[in-house]
Amino acid sequence: MKRISNPLVFALLAVALLAGSVQAGKLTADMSEGKPAFQSMGPLAFGPEGILFVADTKAAAIVAVATGDTAAASRSKPIKVEGINQKIAGLLGTTADQILIDDLAVNPISKSAYLAVSRGRGPEAIPVLVRLKTGGDLEVFGLDKVKFSRAELPDAPVDGMVGQGNRQSNPRRESITDIAFLDGRVLVAGLANEEFASTLRAVPFPFKTVAGGTSVEIYHGAHGRFETRSPVRTFVTYNIAKQAHLLAAYTCTPLVQFPISDLKPGAKIMGKTIAELGNRNRPLDMIVYQRDGKDYLLMANNSRGVMKISTDQIEAVEGISAPVPDGGKKGLSYETIENWTGVDQLDRLDEQNVVVLRRAEAGSLNLESLPLP
Amino acid sequence: MKWIGPDVRTAALVTVMAAISVPGTWGQERVHSFDVASKTFSVDWILDASNTSKAAVQVSGLSPAVLRQLRRSKWESPQWQQLLAVFAATGDAAALPRLPPVSGIYRVLPDVLRFELHFPLESGLTYQAIFQPSRLPGGRASGDTVMADFRAPARPPGPSTVVTHVYPSSESLPENLLKFYIHFSAAMSRGRIYDHIHLRKGNGIDIELPFLEIDEELWDPSMTRLTLFIDPGRIKREVRPLEEIGPALEAGKSYALVIDPEWKDSLGNPLQRGFQKAFTVGPADREPPDAGKWQVSRPKPGTREMLTVTFPEPMDHALAQRVIHVTDASGRPVVGNVALENDERRWVFTPNDQWLGGNYHLIVQTTIEDLAGNNIGKPFEVDLFESVQRRPLTPTVTLSFTVR
Repeated sequence: MKRISNPLVFALLAVALLAGSVQAGKLTADMSEGKPAFQSMGPLAFGPEGILFVADTKAAAIVAVATGDTAAASRSKPIKVEGINQKIAGLLGTTADQILIDDLAVNPISKSAYLAVSRGRGPEAIPVLVRLKTGGDLEVFGLDKVKFSRAELPDAPVDGMVGQGNRQSNPRRESITDIAFLDGRVLVAGLANEEFASTLRAVPFPFKTVAGGTSVEIYHGAHGRFETRSPVRTFVTYNIAKQAHLLAAYTCTPLVQFPISDLKPGAKIMGKTIAELGNRNRPLDMIVYQRDGKDYLLMANNSRGVMKISTDQIEAVEGISAPVPDGGKKGLSYETIENWTGVDQLDRLDEQNVVVLRRAEAGSLNLESLPLP
Repeated sequence: MKWIGPDVRTAALVTVMAAISVPGTWGQERVHSFDVASKTFSVDWILDASNTSKAAVQVSGLSPAVLRQLRRSKWESPQWQQLLAVFAATGDAAALPRLPPVSGIYRVLPDVLRFELHFPLESGLTYQAIFQPSRLPGGRASGDTVMADFRAPARPPGPSTVVTHVYPSSESLPENLLKFYIHFSAAMSRGRIYDHIHLRKGNGIDIELPFLEIDEELWDPSMTRLTLFIDPGRIKREVRPLEEIGPALEAGKSYALVIDPEWKDSLGNPLQRGFQKAFTVGPADREPPDAGKWQVSRPKPGTREMLTVTFPEPMDHALAQRVIHVTDASGRPVVGNVALENDERRWVFTPNDQWLGGNYHLIVQTTIEDLAGNNIGKPFEVDLFESVQRRPLTPTVTLSFTVR
């Protein structure tokens, strides 16, 4: 999950929200009211006005839902829900092994945590949006009558089987690996299950004609002279030299930056690798936060405690273009917060705290808030 | 018993998700009639005959006055749940913190109180409905707690799903192989799938993290085909040995792709048996496919002879099936069936109708891939010292052939 993680943008949006009733509800004004259809719920991201963007991978669509959850929480309360997968299973009338939690996002206004849940693991699984109420109770977030709008991602490559056999079951699908909202655009990273097409799209919001979403190929030079089209695993937005950038994490954890202004239809982008964070390591989720006047990235990964990455040198750091020997580190420095083990998902709760979904013993999952390191 | 409706008053606890059918039918309308546990009330489990995925619990024996009070109440969900709630019994509930009640909607009907579950019942799972008369409006304690259990029928046991095939079919694969497709005989389950898939060296040792592990998992819509990419960071490159944890595959060595039988299908049953695809690895393939080197057969007019395209190397199974099609001279699609043979080295097209004499075209999207992910006109690896912008790529190439 990603939300507005850039302090400058966040501040500007906060100003916009405070600017009075003229602005209020502007983004939801053109939404339709009813029951949005979901085939699946994957990555989540909050935008302004309590709008939750939900990636529906099966339908290749992004749905913007006006949650109406816009009462500001004066201060967030600590969160600790042990066995949240068992509790969600109880709420949905099933067993914990039939529950998958695909993403977590905190509403930056109300501080409520939202979870994209799959009830069931097969093709008939039911997607459910679950909200953690203040007080720790879980509820199914009702989607029967909400304001929403929907952006279909640009069509898959033309089906070459037109007029021929096997049309009824095109097995191609493009998965959405992460989404974020920034400055009137929903950024969508995707990966197809046939051709090796890793794309990043910028879809203007409010959604209008979205067929022309931007699709780009990103290259980075972390592996020496030659590089391939690697898929973005997770990304955040961040200002570098007063210009909005994407910081994208790849497998074998190079961290790559490129300006968002480069995201033009059909563009091929050369990213700048600003950190090698060591190998045997798969990034899972990432946020930006501030501490003592400095910005840090916090990255959950599959093999060690979360990584706290300094952005001190982000403007000055040279792009990494030569191989980094022995699976080493290079570029931005980082420290590992060793005791934050098993973190699968994270999102910022407030200025001091983060919410994490972490694996405990025996397949149990806990949702808890932790002070930012 | 059918649902009675429209209801007089609905108290929505939380709003409903789409009801989606669950496999299997239960065949009877009134599933469980719990004998009156108090002298006044009974709690029954009800299944909707027209939609077996829907279940409800119904309390009868409530007086018209009480029902009227319930209708007029402005209760929030906790108050309704104290009166009547359903819990999913997981078997180890004692070891866990108390689970929340199952999500659903309360309806006060003319002569009963009904709780409709939002979600289908889970096969084999026991549900417990608890009705506490003491929580009825007015605060008059009236009768003991009434409970009614219902066990949803279990699915037929036993594993039946198997891995039917792994592509590429060849037993010799390039060092820079990009992906496998694993095909199953029935729908599989999502979640931590990579625990069940291993790339094993000839010495029996598993290669560490060889695959691109995508949390979303790259399934087809029917969940009978999984795409498994080799992690691009683990594919051996041209000029530089991987200094990190090494390439996943190296030329001259033998490997096996191993699927554990513990992997569960969509019904929760493990695979009938494990699966193993053994293969040897040859040199890397860095040459983009060249359609000019493909051999196209010449079917005879007035027949439905197969049209074959023979590639000098195996092509990606999914893409070769999808991105090649046939048109007549004027561009109209020729309808037929496609198959791949000879370890994906031969594309075979059988037209629905007879060939007519004249010219035809094979339209090939340049996104077709060989086993190393090279496209027509575009190698998988890009030399960064050339501008990536400089590679013009046409979306299709056309091969023409004449039927005569």
